[in-house]
Amino acid sequence: MVRTKGYPEALEKKLRDQRYFNEDTNPEFTKNVKGISRTIAHMCYQCGTCTGSCPSAPRSTYRIRKFMRRAVLGLENESLTDPDLWLCTTCYSCTDRCPRDIAPTDVIMAMRNLAFKRDIIPVNFLKTVQAIYSSGHGVPNNDVNRAARERLGLTRDPPTTHMYPEYIKGIQKILDHYKLKANADRIVKEREG
Amino acid sequence: MAEKKKSTTKKTESKKETKHEAPAKQEAAQKAAPSGVSTTKTQEKARIGVFICHCGTNIAGSMDINAVQDYAKTIPNVAYVDNYKYMCSMPGQAVINKAIKDNKLTGVVVAACSPRLHEPTFRTATKEGGLNQFRFEMANIREQNSWVHMHDQEGSTEKAKDAIRIAVAKAGLLQDLFPKAVPVEHAAMVVGAGVAGMQAALDLANAGIKTYLIESQPTIGGRMSQLDKTFPTLDCSQCILTPKMVDVGRAANIELMTYSEVDAVEGYIGNFDVTVRKKARGVLTPAEAEARGIVGGGCNGCGDCEPVCPVVKPNEFEVGMKPRKAIYISHPQVVPLIYTIDWNSCIKCGLCVTACGPEKKAIDLEAKDELVKVKVGTAILATGYDMFPVEKKTEWGYKKYENVISSLEFERLICASGPTSGHLVRPSDGETPKRVAFVLCAGSRDNTGNGKPYCSRFCCMYSLKHAHQIYEKIPGVQAYLFYMDIRSFGKMYEEFYYRIQDEGAKFIRGRVANILEDPVTKNLHVHTDDTLLNRPVDMEVDLVVLAAAVQPKEDTNRTRKLFGVSCSMDGWLLEAHPKLNPCGTTTAGVFLAGVCQGPKDIPDTVASAEGAASAASIPIHKGEVELEPYFATCIEERCAGCGMCINLCPYSALALVEKDGRQVMQVTEAKCKGCGTCGGFCPGGAIWMNHFATPQIVAQIDAFLLGGEQ
Amino acid sequence: MSEAKHKFAFYLGCIAPNRYPGCESASIKAMKKLGVELVPLKGASCCPAPGAFGSIDLNVFYAMAARNLVLAEQMKMDIALLCNGCYKSIWEVNHKLKHNQDLRDGVNEVLKEIDMEYKGTINVYHTAELLYNEKFIGVEKVRSSVTNPLTGARIAVHYGCHLTKPHKDREFENDVMLNTEHPSWMEELVAALGATPVEYRNKMQCCGAGGGVRGYDIVHALDIANEKLINLKNVGVDALTDICPFCQLQFDRGQIEIKEKFGVSYDLPVLHYAELLGLAQGMSPQDLGLDLHAISCEPFLQKVL
Repeated sequence: MVRTKGYPEALEKKLRDQRYFNEDTNPEFTKNVKGISRTIAHMCYQCGTCTGSCPSAPRSTYRIRKFMRRAVLGLENESLTDPDLWLCTTCYSCTDRCPRDIAPTDVIMAMRNLAFKRDIIPVNFLKTVQAIYSSGHGVPNNDVNRAARERLGLTRDPPTTHMYPEYIKGIQKILDHYKLKANADRIVKEREG
Repeated sequence: MAEKKKSTTKKTESKKETKHEAPAKQEAAQKAAPSGVSTTKTQEKARIGVFICHCGTNIAGSMDINAVQDYAKTIPNVAYVDNYKYMCSMPGQAVINKAIKDNKLTGVVVAACSPRLHEPTFRTATKEGGLNQFRFEMANIREQNSWVHMHDQEGSTEKAKDAIRIAVAKAGLLQDLFPKAVPVEHAAMVVGAGVAGMQAALDLANAGIKTYLIESQPTIGGRMSQLDKTFPTLDCSQCILTPKMVDVGRAANIELMTYSEVDAVEGYIGNFDVTVRKKARGVLTPAEAEARGIVGGGCNGCGDCEPVCPVVKPNEFEVGMKPRKAIYISHPQVVPLIYTIDWNSCIKCGLCVTACGPEKKAIDLEAKDELVKVKVGTAILATGYDMFPVEKKTEWGYKKYENVISSLEFERLICASGPTSGHLVRPSDGETPKRVAFVLCAGSRDNTGNGKPYCSRFCCMYSLKHAHQIYEKIPGVQAYLFYMDIRSFGKMYEEFYYRIQDEGAKFIRGRVANILEDPVTKNLHVHTDDTLLNRPVDMEVDLVVLAAAVQPKEDTNRTRKLFGVSCSMDGWLLEAHPKLNPCGTTTAGVFLAGVCQGPKDIPDTVASAEGAASAASIPIHKGEVELEPYFATCIEERCAGCGMCINLCPYSALALVEKDGRQVMQVTEAKCKGCGTCGGFCPGGAIWMNHFATPQIVAQIDAFLLGGEQ
Repeated sequence: MSEAKHKFAFYLGCIAPNRYPGCESASIKAMKKLGVELVPLKGASCCPAPGAFGSIDLNVFYAMAARNLVLAEQMKMDIALLCNGCYKSIWEVNHKLKHNQDLRDGVNEVLKEIDMEYKGTINVYHTAELLYNEKFIGVEKVRSSVTNPLTGARIAVHYGCHLTKPHKDREFENDVMLNTEHPSWMEELVAALGATPVEYRNKMQCCGAGGGVRGYDIVHALDIANEKLINLKNVGVDALTDICPFCQLQFDRGQIEIKEKFGVSYDLPVLHYAELLGLAQGMSPQDLGLDLHAISCEPFLQKVL
C-alpha cells in the first residue's frame, strides 16, 4: 500500500468507485452546451463517424465521440478538465459527415467556452488575446517583412490596424465589453507570475 | 371516400329564410329540401340528445365536463343531456339507446373524439335506438380540443361549449338518409408482380376472383428474382420463387399483363375503370400472333433473334454488370417467356425479323402501345422498391472506386446465374477478394437531408447472409461488418446472427466515416471508430459492399396518384392506420402489399400480400358495397336547366335530362362524392347537398357566431 | 487591361500581410489582370482567429468578425479574402448574422459602443472562389492570362478545411465546390497554370494547425502535417499549393520544426495559389517575396523558370 506513489491520495484515487452514478449528471451542462453550440447535441447515437473522421484521434487519446457522450450524459467535470479537449483542430470533418446532422466541433467549442469560464484554458490562447488587444492582430509586423512589403510595391504596414492604430480602440472596447482582457491578464499572471 | 365536414359558406336564398328560432329553421329546411327527402321528424319540434364523453381523463382532464353539461342543457332544442366516462363502450352506447327511447329524441349529438374514429360506432347506436343513423352529429372535443389545449382548462371548456352548440344546430336539421348500395365488380387488380403482387394475385385467384396482374417490367418476379439466397433459411431465391411464377402464369383467374402500366383510373370502390397501357413490346405472344392470323406463330422464347442483334446494352437485371441486346429477355427463367425490344436502343435494322423466320413472324418493329380498359372492384398496389443512389454519399466512393459495390451488385455477383457464375471477384482486376468489408446503414438512418432518415430494415440480415456466402465460397476469406446495430428481429434471425459470428465474421461497431482507395492496388481503406474498443480504425480491404438504403420505385409516385393514395413523410405509401390497418389505405377499395408501404423482409412481404388480398376480396365476395349518402340532389322545382353545374363536376356525375317537358339536372349518385362544388355554385340554390345542406351549414355558422351563453 | 468589372474590399487577415506578403501583392496584381480590383479595407483587424477566439468566447468571436464586416459595409463593397480561416470567421459570421436575429441583436448591442451597426448588406468571397467562378473570372480566363506556364511542375493541392467544411453550412454558386470528399476544382485551377496537378493519399486531411492546436501542442499539430508530407513524398511532387496562409505557415515553417523535432526533411516548397498564379503571369520570385518562405522555393523555381 505504501508503495503507491503519492500515497494516501493516489491510493484513494486508484481505488475510488468509477461507476457512473446519477449524481454525476448535470442536466444544466447539457443545456448549456446545446445553447452555446446551437446544435442538437443530445441526439448523438454514438455511431463513431466523427472519431472515424478525426485527424487527432489516431495520434492521441482524444475521442470526439466520447466528448459527445459526455455532453449527452451531462458529465461536466470530466469534460471540462480533460486536457484532450484542446486537441481538436476544428477541421469540421466530423460535422461534415455526422448522420444525425449534429456539429460535434461546435460542441467542443462550447465546452471550451464553458471551461474558460472556470479559468481552464491553455495559455497560448490568452497570449493571442493579449496580442490582439494591443495591436489588433495575432501576428505582429517586423522590419524584415516591412522591407519585403516595400520591395513588393505594398505599403510597409498593411492597411489594417497596423497602419491605422486608431481602430485598435474599437477592438479593445469589444474585448473589454466581455472582460476578456482583464481575465486573460489575470490568468496569465497567475500561471506565469 | 367520406367527405370531411367542411362548411361551404356560399350565400343562397335560403339564408334569408333562416332565423334564430329553431322551428322556423326547420320549416325552412323542409321548404328547401327536395321532395322525396324524408324530413318527417321536422313536423315535430327537434329534440336533441347531447352525450358528453370523458374519454377517461383524455377529455375530462382538460375541461370542466359539468360546466359543459350545464351549458348544453340551455341550448335550444336540447331535450336531454348526459355524460359518461367512455361513450364508445357498451354501457355508453346503451345510455344513448335508452335516452332516445325514453325522451323521444329526434337527433343525437355525441361530444367526444374524432368522427374518424367512432362515427360508425355512434351511428350504429343511434340506429339501434330507433332513429335513422344519419340523425347523428359528432362534436370533436378531443383531437380538436382537449388534446391540443391540455393546459387551458377555461379555454377548452368554452371551446367545447361552442362545439356542442354548433353540433346541436346541425342535428336539429338533419334528415333521414339511406346509404346507397352499389354492386361490386367481381374482379380485382394487382399492380406490381414481385413476390407481394404475385402472392396477392394468387390468393385472389384461388378465391375465385378474376385478377388482372399488371407488371411494368417485361417479366414478373421483381427483386426476389435478383437475389441469390434468402435469409435465414438460405433457400435459393429463384428456386422458391419459380413455382409461384409458374402458378401465376398458369392460373386461369389471373390475366397477366406484363410490360404494362396503369395509365388512368376512374370510378370508386366496387367500380374502378382502369386504363392499362400495354407498352409496345415489339414481339408478339402466340395469342397475339393468332389474332393476326399467323397460325402457330408468336414468340416461343427460342432466342434466335438475340445473337444477330448488333446493339449491346447493360442488362438492368444484372445491375449493368452483364450485357444484353436491344431485343432481350432479362434472364432464362422469365415469365412470360417472350422477348422484348428496348426501343431506346433498337436501330430497326430488321436482322431479328429475319432470324425469327416466316413461320413464327413474332417480331413487329412497328408495334405501338395499346390502351386497354378493365373494370375491377378493388385494387392492390405492390410496386416494390429501388436502391437509394448511394453515390450521393461521396464519402464512401461508390461509382468512383471500382472495388466499392452495392449490395444488389453483390447479390448478382454471388449468384450462380449472375455475370460471374457465382464467383465473387473484384471489379478492378477480377481477383478473388480475401478481405471484404460490409458497410451497414449506407444511406439509412441519415438525417443530413442527403440520405434516408428511416431504417431500411432488411440490410442487417442480408449483410449477415452475404458474410455467410463468402465464407461458404472463398476459403481463407475474412468478412468485416461495420455496423451501428445488428437488427436481427425476426424468426430465427438472432440465431442466424449467432451462426454468422461463429463462422468467423468480425463485427466492428462503428459507422464508416469514409473510404479511400490505394491508387496502385485499388484496395480500399475503410475508416471508422471501433466504438467498443475506443480506437479509430483504418482497415485495408480488397472489396467493400455497401448495404445501401432502399426507397420507393420512381414510378410509384405517378401510379399512387392515379389511385388516390397518399404517401407518408418518408416517401412510402400511406397505410390507413400503421398499427390496425397496414394493408389498407384511406381510399376505399385500394390496398397495399409489400415493400411499397415500407421496407420489409420476404416473410413480412408475403404476409402483407395475403392480408391485402383478404381485405380486397371482402367487398367482392359481399357483392355490394354501401356508399355513404352524401350525394348532391337536384331540387327540380328550382332547377332552371341552365346546365352550368354539369361541367363543374370533377367526377362527371351530373347530367341534364328531360322531365315533364323541361330540362333539369340529375345526379348519378354512385359517381357523386359529395364534394359540394355544384351545390356551392348553383345560382338558383337548386342543389341540395345531403347531410351538408346549406341550411344545415348556415345554422352551424349562425349558432357559432350568434349563439353563446343563453 | 480593361476597366475592372468587379471591385472587392480586400480583407488581408494576419499571416498573409505580415509573413507572406507575396500572397497579398500577387493577388492584387493577378486579379487586376483578370478584371477584379481588390481595394484596401482600412482598419481591419484579426478576423478573429476562429480557433483561438471561438474557443474562448463565441460572443467575442461574433462581435469582432462583425466589426470587420461593418468596415466593408461602410465601404459598400463585398469582401474578398485569401485565407480559409478568415473565410470561416468573416463569411460564416456574416451568414449566421443574416439568418439569426438573436445573434444579430447580441452583436449590435456591443457594436453600438463603438458607433457601429451590422446591417447584413454585403457578401464575402474567397479569392479562390472568384478565380473558379465564371461569374467573376473562371478557369478559362485564368488559363488565358498565363504567360509563363508552369510546364512540367508536379503540384499537389492542399484544400484546407474551413472554406468548404461543413458543406451543409456553405453556399457556393458552383456546386462542385460543395464536394468535400473528392473535389477537383483546385486541380483544375492548377492545370490552368500549365502545371500537372497530382493526387495524393488523404488529400482532404487537415493541416493540424487549427483550433489553437499549433499553439497548444505543437508536436501533435506537426504530426498531423507530417502525415500529409509523408503522403506527398510518396507520390513525388515539386510543390504543394494551398489557399490558406495559416496552412501555408504550418507546412512551410512547420517543415523546419519537423526537422528539428522529428529529424525528417522534405524540402518541399509550399506556395499559396496566388503566388503560383503570379509566377504563371510572369511576376518574378522577388516580386512575390518567395525568399521569405522558410523552405526554399529554388528547386521548384528552377523547374518552371
